[in-house]
Amino acid sequence: MITFIYAAIAIGFLILVFGFLRKPPLDDPDEALTGKSYAPSVGNGRWLDLSERIFDPSDARWLAEELAFPKLAKALILERRRLAIRWLKALQASFDEVVRTPEITSGAAAPAASAGSWRMLWLVIRFKLLVSYALLVVRLFGPYHRLMPSISWIPFSRESEHSFQRAALAHSRSSR
Amino acid sequence: MEILGWIVSFAGLGLTALVLWRGRYLHIIGRFPFFYSYLGCGFCGTFALFLIFRFRHSAYPYAYWLYFLLGIVVEFAVLVEISDHLFEPFPAIRQLGRALTIIILIGLGLIYILPTILYSHSRHSALLGFALRASLTKAVILGALLLAAHYYGLRLGKNVAGLILGFSIYLGVNIANFAADQLFYHLYDNILWVMSPIAYTLCLAVWLIALWDFVPTPSTRTVSPASRRDPEAVTFELARFNNELSKFLNK
Repeated sequence: MITFIYAAIAIGFLILVFGFLRKPPLDDPDEALTGKSYAPSVGNGRWLDLSERIFDPSDARWLAEELAFPKLAKALILERRRLAIRWLKALQASFDEVVRTPEITSGAAAPAASAGSWRMLWLVIRFKLLVSYALLVVRLFGPYHRLMPSISWIPFSRESEHSFQRAALAHSRSSR
Repeated sequence: MEILGWIVSFAGLGLTALVLWRGRYLHIIGRFPFFYSYLGCGFCGTFALFLIFRFRHSAYPYAYWLYFLLGIVVEFAVLVEISDHLFEPFPAIRQLGRALTIIILIGLGLIYILPTILYSHSRHSALLGFALRASLTKAVILGALLLAAHYYGLRLGKNVAGLILGFSIYLGVNIANFAADQLFYHLYDNILWVMSPIAYTLCLAVWLIALWDFVPTPSTRTVSPASRRDPEAVTFELARFNNELSKFLNK
């Protein structure tokens, strides 16, 4: 029995590889992302304000508690959950765009691996984990659930903050 | 069967020499260092086995199995080469391939490969079990690399696609072949043993065609020079996204 399972795995693996290699390359891989909406620049304040509104429970509370419209409040929460999921997916799509930015190469030489590229990979993985977690929480508990318990005691979050500030400083200097 | 084995071995040796010669002729050995090191190792190992078979016949079985085990381990170099080239143009995920390779290798190595070495009842089943599970681990790594490349919409160059295709054929045949040993144990020594060398020779033929010319890895999309960025700018953007998301989650 186990032999046949392995044989099936081998065949499945070869089908996956042939399927992937046979697929014609997309002229514009953004086609693969058709239907995804993109977030404006992260620095765009209005877009961030939108998240404040989406994740703010005061409207639903006002409907439910002050106006006594529990059904309306429930409908609003459902709609806000849909919006929250779209907002997080748009953020993720924009992040993927940054990840897929090609490097400036000064010639045909292959770029060398460096500690910087591992740091970038860590930032990519960290973002993916956080946004997946946020999507899971929003899907399961809705947009008004506290997304994350305080993690200020974890060293990496402080380090990340510091390294972000350092990167921002270095970038502002180099762009002058 | 023995004659077929010799023919396959010589064909494999010839193809390995051709791939190495072509790589040297095109000056691309430095671009695929792990892959050509692996081939060089394979060429020297096979040649040494011929010499041992001719001059120290009694030591041949021991040398064969030693080379067999060494080959299983060294084959991971091909995966490292593929993973390095898949994500090469993109600084943010340049190490993603290596990270996937290392994580899957350590994970499956501990929970899937190691037990078969420690708890097998005979040397035969330990050897073939190790070969089977190592092949499956390589297939899982290759599958994960392809899925990651698909997720990011990466294009494969002719050289890397050829490396993947050849290696996949070899791995697929190996998995089915080593698994068949558990069911058709009595057939392995007579017939099935030659399947892996045949698959490897086929794999070498695919590699020879794929690496006959050097084709640079195509970029994912046509981008204007203005939209290309240096790694520092990309790091800055990634850190900014992370920072905004962290702030948002901590609210």
